[in-house]
Amino acid sequence: MEFTAREGAVLPAFVRQVTQPDIKRYADASGDYNPIHIDEAFAATTPLKGTIAHGMLVLAFVSEMLARAFGEAWDESGRLSVKFRSPARPGDTLTVSGQVDSLLSESDIVWATCSLWCRNQADEVVVSGEARVRVPASL
Amino acid sequence: MAVAYEELTPGHEFPPVDYVLDAGVVAAYVEAVGASRRSYVPPLAVAARAIASLGGLIELLPGTIHAAQDFEFSRLVPVGSRVTCVARVQRKLSRGGMRMLTLEMNVTDEAGMPVQRGRSTIVLPGA
Repeated sequence: MEFTAREGAVLPAFVRQVTQPDIKRYADASGDYNPIHIDEAFAATTPLKGTIAHGMLVLAFVSEMLARAFGEAWDESGRLSVKFRSPARPGDTLTVSGQVDSLLSESDIVWATCSLWCRNQADEVVVSGEARVRVPASL
Repeated sequence: MAVAYEELTPGHEFPPVDYVLDAGVVAAYVEAVGASRRSYVPPLAVAARAIASLGGLIELLPGTIHAAQDFEFSRLVPVGSRVTCVARVQRKLSRGGMRMLTLEMNVTDEAGMPVQRGRSTIVLPGA
């Protein structure tokens, strides 16, 4: 179903479970082999007490939710600003959600500003932030 | 050669890093993150390579984690493109055993046109 950006509209959520094999696949795909993500023995000796997903893997889920809602406009002209609040661990189920806070016209372009969250199955915030994306001017 | 955290100062610019976003790289990324198929490179795939390239520029200790991230996407990148990333230290903070770096990254295409800008804040394990 196509998403229509209106103030207060809730973005269709994106849900994804993260597994250790997913994290390894992301390391291979990105070239980021920081042992905090892939070396379980090393990660167990750190304050995090175990491996965590790459922040950029979690952001990929955030971006996917925005791409599904806003299509090519997101990929071509999106703005994203986030903070990583808590780690995503293997076995976590992450739910990315958001809503349109405002629509603002600037020189014939309408920008939607959205607040975003990614939470784990315990409802802890993993990522929070804001996105800005161009939407059709007819809205 | 990778530069140690202690040697970095705000304004330090790293040598440009080039990378090719070929079909294999893009397919591996799309599979890894479960992204929708597109006829161009997903912008986070461009960014993922840019951020991973920092590992060759800075001596990042094991256990370094990502604290914050900003992006501005400027244009779509066709599969097979070669892009260039230039990173620069925007901010460095070392206080009470906490060591943070904020890095700006500019990615351009082969014509020198902007592809995306990013700002990454990372936390390095205490000394």
